Amino acid sequence: MILYDYILSPDAYKVRLMAALAGVKLDLRAVDVHPGREHESEPLRALNPAGSIPILIDGDLILTESAAMLVYLARLAAPEWLGDGDAAGGARIQQWLSFSPRLTDHLGGARATEMLAEPGDLPALQQAGIIDLRQLEAALIERRIEGQCFLAADRPTVADIACFPYAALAPDGGVSLDPYPSIRLWMRAIRMLPGFIEMPGIHRLHELKPEPLSTETPETV
Amino acid sequence: MPVELHRDWIPVALSADLPAATVVPAHTPSGILALWRSESGKLTALADRCPHRGMRLSYGFVRGEALSCIYHGWSYGRTGQCQRIPAHPDLTPPAAIKAASYATEERNGVIWIAQNEPQEPPPTLDGFKPLRSMPLAVDADRLSPTGEVRTEFAGIDMLLLIVATGNGEAVAHIMIAASASKDDCVAASRAAEGWRRDCERLALEDRAS
Repeated sequence: MILYDYILSPDAYKVRLMAALAGVKLDLRAVDVHPGREHESEPLRALNPAGSIPILIDGDLILTESAAMLVYLARLAAPEWLGDGDAAGGARIQQWLSFSPRLTDHLGGARATEMLAEPGDLPALQQAGIIDLRQLEAALIERRIEGQCFLAADRPTVADIACFPYAALAPDGGVSLDPYPSIRLWMRAIRMLPGFIEMPGIHRLHELKPEPLSTETPETV
Repeated sequence: MPVELHRDWIPVALSADLPAATVVPAHTPSGILALWRSESGKLTALADRCPHRGMRLSYGFVRGEALSCIYHGWSYGRTGQCQRIPAHPDLTPPAAIKAASYATEERNGVIWIAQNEPQEPPPTLDGFKPLRSMPLAVDADRLSPTGEVRTEFAGIDMLLLIVATGNGEAVAHIMIAASASKDDCVAASRAAEGWRRDCERLALEDRAS
């Protein structure tokens, strides 16, 4: 299974993360998005006319939407990530998969404007991103009242993975996560999952590893 | 007892939002603190700035009974004294490497930080339990000159503890009647969203006129 990937793309990270959590091995092909704009080149347009990253290829199947990739990986290797199949639970997962592109547009748009100097109305993108985060926070508060910590079930699902990266990277677009205690606890629960992997800007939980021994050479000074 | 008599204490977070071995940024009228709970459950509030390179300590992590900075791993104990510098494992950190610390109290599910030297403990808020903390893009004085709002959400008695967090913004720590059911809590949380939209719309209209 081939993933056309870019290390700084939160959408590509969703797919790498889901694959890691589901135990699927991906054949990664790094795409020079910045500064090369390789995703807009003819060979990649031939796979994905929209010119976006990631692209997942498995035999004849070509997927260009990250939510579809999450569902595909889960169905293949980890069906418990699709919920238990009841109508409300399934709809709740679909609700968050459909919600996730709003995070991409708003918080992701603010991040691209801030970090990559893409054109965009930064204050408007940030304001729209705050409305999205408030919706996420309100939903997670209701889950916590029910004694749950994930978005759509009593366990993590593809819904959590679809929403996690752009929410976690909100500060890259100048949107603080300080005011959202339930989002922060939810992100912590995701980062605690066995098999969790990092991307630049989303680090692992250092406290889960034991204190390094004093004889080891530290990574930084 | 009204909250206004306790202005030496600032409510900064709800206990449920700070489980053991975690750290959160606590916004107060005079700035942000790194509020953390050790693995054994002890609360500490430190200035949110690592004395080494100025990184926010609230971006750090709690391991055991110490808070570590995310940047270079310098760790701090409950007094704010630096305990360990990973790059110099044999060095006892000098006493001067210390983050300022603030008194904390936890009562009835609310965490308070002392402003001055309080003569008495923070209020118990009898009859209420914590629901959620909610940020608003509204001046705190506009919401309440006393730091306290008593109201009803979805027909349920509520007590809102209002704290200014700078830049014309505020946080409402929302308490709900202690007898409220889970369904009541969900209904009140949804009503709180509407209350915030109203408050922010009115504040915007005022600014425009």
